[in-house]
Amino acid sequence: MLVVVLLAAWELSVSTGTVRSDSWPALSSVLTALVHGATSESWVSMFGSTLYRMTFGFLLGTVLGIVVGVLFGVASYVNRVLMPTLEIFRTTPIPAIVPPLIFLLGVDDELKITIVALAAFFPVALNTLAGVRQVDPIHLQVAQTFRVPRLKAVLRIQLPSTLPYIFAGARISLGISLIVAVVTEMLAGSEGVGYFIVSMEYAMRANDMYAAIILLSVLGYVLNRLFVLLEAKYIRWARVLHLRLT
Amino acid sequence: MSNVARRLRQLIIEPMPGLLFIAACIAGLEAMASAEWINPAFSPVPSLVGHWLWEILDSGAVLEPLAQTLGLLTAGYFLACGVGISLGLLMGYYRTAYVLFEPLLELLRPIPKPALLPPLMLVLGLGSAMKIAIVFLGALFPILINTIQAARAVDVVLVDVGRTFRSGPLRIIWRVVFPASLPMILSGMRVSLGLGLVLVVLAEMLTGAGGLGSRIVDLQRSFQAQEMYAWTVVLAGLGLILAFAFNWVERTVAFWSFRR
Amino acid sequence: MKTSAAPLSPGRRESDLLVIKGVSKTYGSAAQGVMAIRTVDLTVRAGEFMSIVGPSGCGKSTLLQIAAGLLPATVGEVQLGGTKITSPPEGMVCLFQQYSRSLFPWLTVEDNVQFAFDHHPSLDRGETEDRCLRYLEMVGLADFRRNYPWELSGGMQQRVAIARALAAEPRILLLDEPFSSVDALTRLELHGLIIDIWSRTGVTILLVTHDVDEAVFLSDRIALLTKRPSVLAKLFENKLPRPRDPVSSGEDPDFLSLRHELLSRVLDPR
Repeated sequence: MLVVVLLAAWELSVSTGTVRSDSWPALSSVLTALVHGATSESWVSMFGSTLYRMTFGFLLGTVLGIVVGVLFGVASYVNRVLMPTLEIFRTTPIPAIVPPLIFLLGVDDELKITIVALAAFFPVALNTLAGVRQVDPIHLQVAQTFRVPRLKAVLRIQLPSTLPYIFAGARISLGISLIVAVVTEMLAGSEGVGYFIVSMEYAMRANDMYAAIILLSVLGYVLNRLFVLLEAKYIRWARVLHLRLT
Repeated sequence: MSNVARRLRQLIIEPMPGLLFIAACIAGLEAMASAEWINPAFSPVPSLVGHWLWEILDSGAVLEPLAQTLGLLTAGYFLACGVGISLGLLMGYYRTAYVLFEPLLELLRPIPKPALLPPLMLVLGLGSAMKIAIVFLGALFPILINTIQAARAVDVVLVDVGRTFRSGPLRIIWRVVFPASLPMILSGMRVSLGLGLVLVVLAEMLTGAGGLGSRIVDLQRSFQAQEMYAWTVVLAGLGLILAFAFNWVERTVAFWSFRR
Repeated sequence: MKTSAAPLSPGRRESDLLVIKGVSKTYGSAAQGVMAIRTVDLTVRAGEFMSIVGPSGCGKSTLLQIAAGLLPATVGEVQLGGTKITSPPEGMVCLFQQYSRSLFPWLTVEDNVQFAFDHHPSLDRGETEDRCLRYLEMVGLADFRRNYPWELSGGMQQRVAIARALAAEPRILLLDEPFSSVDALTRLELHGLIIDIWSRTGVTILLVTHDVDEAVFLSDRIALLTKRPSVLAKLFENKLPRPRDPVSSGEDPDFLSLRHELLSRVLDPR
């Protein structure tokens, strides 16, 4: 209800001439730009390239996160040695890592994918670690009693019960991946959604800029929803697997 | 084991392997630099970075950008805390407030806050107001959402205690709902702090108008790698100190939630 | 004991403190809802110790919450000192069953007790502390006033809750199964404590319990509710002389016959 009122006020503020500024476009013109863009080729390729970088970085970061999370959870000495280093990287704001990595990796896709992977890594690693730690030790003892080899025990007992945690971490990472991909394009890009939004700002084409932001938000929301559905499906599978083993 | 001994153990002995590893990495980098395996025009050389770091700290050149970044972050952050907590408590306690604002919240939440930087730059320019605004917007949502969730989930017994002693709604919100929600509010505030730091640095990098972010970008563009790395260390250090400080605040303020 | 300002309605005595009149409670809509209480009329006299007992689910806790002003009745009303109750009234405090959840974990024992009266700003610092100390001493916890509730045992926590309730200096205390979650020995200690407090302060007590022995040991009168939807089955006068003792009173023939009748009627599936 309030939303409708605010949107109406927005539209009115421009159409009645109350606010007259290049940076304050009318809701109608933003929507026009949105429809125009959503159906245009250039926007599809623009969003596509951002999604491409995001996906690669997300997958890389997630896989690394799972491996490290399991490793840290299972081998506590590794945890002790490497955790402070990880903590330092975790508390450093992502934009701070960009300029150094520009020196080391240039400004192409390798840079952006690496940064996305770095950002996606942490939520997955930390959540996986928490998941591994909470596994019921009784299940592990049962495995030991039956002389199940260590790797097999890890894969078939700890992994299914850790899966919800991994998924939770991955869901957070997905959102982070998208936005970090956009941020890297804003800082060091020549194409992609981030670069587009910044260019539209410089060109003072506010309605295109807002339209792209809206589309980006919708994309983020849709990705999140899709992931939740995927998560629900695989959690069910993991639970079945778990029950079959115990 | 006495308390002092335990704290000493926590602070020094336990992180020792990790710290040694870091020291080993630094030494390794230095060795690679001496052996000319890495290029000092791009890769960090610990001795050079250390030299610049000392320069920055000793001469006091660190103060101005640090103060600006920290100041803008603090302003936006505390504003977000104030608005987020008050609005969150009201929305958590009063159904009408919740129903009124929740759709707006759900609509604004999925918008990635860094993407709001360019619009904000258009509307508010490149100065402090814009940076405080972006920090505010970014920090607001985690705090607000956590506060609402916590306020709605407050144990009904606690609220009934307030009622049986005839506390009015404001007193109940302030003395019962708010303290009971603190652990969860603080966890939202932690996320917001990290996000706020990211946003203020990002804003500085895009506008180049002072602060740690602009300094780093300037040095990167003029290819002064080692000095840039030194400033990166400063920024990383800021992040680390803020994280530790927040941990301390959380343990002190919400002490009862750590009792297990 | 304060004199009521309202004129006495016909049939009401000066000493009637809490009057429950025709109270009925239905959860949900009238057609499809669950009726917890069909109709109950009950009067609690000033200074007496009354218990409400009944089978599980008979709505005795619900009745207490309505009397406390925490829950509205669907039909009927409750009056305290002649004035209708619409929200928790002045002069009444309710003690909850889940006592450990009712104490604020961010406040010390002392501060918890202080919560009962610190929004009446007329007291200064010294008076506030004295008042807290007085009631903590009454429950035997003066030494623990700077501890946090979660550092104390269950029985001690319940005592803090009692001290806090008393610190509001109410005319009537409503107790909702306050001793059901403590062990048997602690329960006996708390019985002794509550009787001690009752005789010392003269406060009126309305206790809800599922423990028939407890009701007979503690009360002057006992109200027995039927199962849901409940009505008042019978109001018992407890003639057992005071002071009562947990060991010997339990062997008194009057105790046993009252207990027998109550227990058989509570357990009766009728």
